Amino acid sequence: MQVFSVPKSIKQNSNFTFCSGCDHGVAIKLVAQTIDELNLQDETIAIASSGCSVLLYDFLDVDCLEAPHGRACAVATGVKRAHKAMGNNKFVFTYQGDGDFASIGLAESMHSALRGENITAICINNTNYGMTGGQLGPTTALGQITTTSPKGRNIEYHGFPIKTAEQIALCDGVSYSARVALYDIKNIINAKNSIKKAFEYQKKGLGFSFVEILSSCPTNWKLSPKKSHEKIKNELTNIYPLGVFKDINND
Amino acid sequence: MNKELLKGNIAIAKAALNCGCNCYFGYPITPQTEIGEYLSKQMPANKLAYVCAESEIAAINMALGAASTGAKVMTSSSSCAVSLMQEAISYASSDELPIVIVNVMRAGPGQGYIFPSQGDYNQATIGGGNGDYKTIVLSPSSVQECIDLTYRAFYLAQKYRTPVILLADGLLGQMAEAAELTENPYPEIDNSNWRLDGAKNRPSREIHSLEPDQNKLNRHIVKLYQKYSAIEQNECDYEEYKTQDAEVIITAFGTMARYAKALCNHYRNKGVKIGLFRPKTLYPFPYKRLNELSQKAKIVIDIEMNMGQMLKDVRLAVLSNAQVAFIGKPVGDWLREEEMINAANNILKERYASI
Repeated sequence: MQVFSVPKSIKQNSNFTFCSGCDHGVAIKLVAQTIDELNLQDETIAIASSGCSVLLYDFLDVDCLEAPHGRACAVATGVKRAHKAMGNNKFVFTYQGDGDFASIGLAESMHSALRGENITAICINNTNYGMTGGQLGPTTALGQITTTSPKGRNIEYHGFPIKTAEQIALCDGVSYSARVALYDIKNIINAKNSIKKAFEYQKKGLGFSFVEILSSCPTNWKLSPKKSHEKIKNELTNIYPLGVFKDINND
Repeated sequence: MNKELLKGNIAIAKAALNCGCNCYFGYPITPQTEIGEYLSKQMPANKLAYVCAESEIAAINMALGAASTGAKVMTSSSSCAVSLMQEAISYASSDELPIVIVNVMRAGPGQGYIFPSQGDYNQATIGGGNGDYKTIVLSPSSVQECIDLTYRAFYLAQKYRTPVILLADGLLGQMAEAAELTENPYPEIDNSNWRLDGAKNRPSREIHSLEPDQNKLNRHIVKLYQKYSAIEQNECDYEEYKTQDAEVIITAFGTMARYAKALCNHYRNKGVKIGLFRPKTLYPFPYKRLNELSQKAKIVIDIEMNMGQMLKDVRLAVLSNAQVAFIGKPVGDWLREEEMINAANNILKERYASI
């Protein structure tokens, strides 16, 4: 018999404050489960970012530091390197949205990856700026309607979206880069395995590890939670294919 | 210890290492680049944290992260690039994180140029970031003070858990003079009750500036201002030169004060009772002492290498006690003795026929 319970690394009596049907809650739970399984709770410093991911410390029961918008990987670099200078090997990861990681923070994200900073970045890609009400972001798909692309993203005005996991995989300092989704049980299990691998690679000191999670945003997509997951399965995975783009142990 | 010939930038770097700085993050910009160059040899050799950051934005955010661990953290830069750090300085002030930020000022606005200036007084003392916060600002006037005030910057940052700016200038950074690398005189500050080092045998901790509850945010800012009050009460620092009987008081900070001393000597020889008041802390500004001095003075002449930035603090201190005049020049070759004398003669000639 398998008993399901709230992970130890989720704060007791905390309630997720995300919109109904949002995948953030599932992603945070997977992160917490992985922290528990790898026994990392008392050596973790998590870096929260700006956007819907900002309240991470309300849910995760580990030491947490907020980064200014986009700077999570730079802040994580400082935390990791400072502890190393003091003789400590702490577990450090960022939890960011696609706007935070791949738009305003692209320089900090990519240079951390290039340096092979021994940290992990989790990036929730919901193809828009969720917290501010669904504006065009770096990952908004061509044709996608947002509040700042009311006729859909077009190349003339908005240019192309970024394929983050593929770009990060090109950086030499990266140990692992994958894109996963959460639209069904099989994919949730895959996502968990990817997060676990990314965390383990940091523990082994293999360099920058990265997991992009395609996530639903029913409120801003103006779709039901079910239809949002169908959109990810049928549309977004064609633009943003799921898979592992770099694995240092297989390369 | 013996005195050695030291460049200002190198003195800052040596003093930082000497008082236990174990994390440095920086990006090159003239006229402060030697700080990062010097530390790039010393810090990796001792397994300390050193990152050639991709930008000043990254550097200050690495510093913010490192400071949360209880490490002793420094970044250094100059004027237009310190502008890029303002967001994170605002965050670090709210987060109550100790970071030492060295600004070796160059000319502005914008890119300006690499010649020296004191044009960042406003940015440093008022703050270029958003929201209600203040930053301790220390102003060295000699290479020796580059050492002494670097020690003090680390101490005050840890003591008050707040960013501290060491506001030097290009002349001081690039100038060599005899100085002694003394021992760090300050005690270590315990940070075990707030640093982020993993929730082992204690509840987890969180450090953030975001606060959706307005009552909590109000309380937090009021608490910050109680800290600033204590800083204003305890940490004002200044130098006085021949002020005891002064009817004319020169105010100047940093390197400019060295030139102003020459001006004092010139007029003392002509029988004018003149002295120099030099704030060493620009925030907290020593209003009280300057106000006392101004009560016995007739004229206060503020001299700066900018268009009159400290002037407003001088006026706030002097109030209507004395006439306030200003001599300044924004950038480049510093005001020469003759230039200052010509300008000061115009101010003083009505009262002092002897000049």
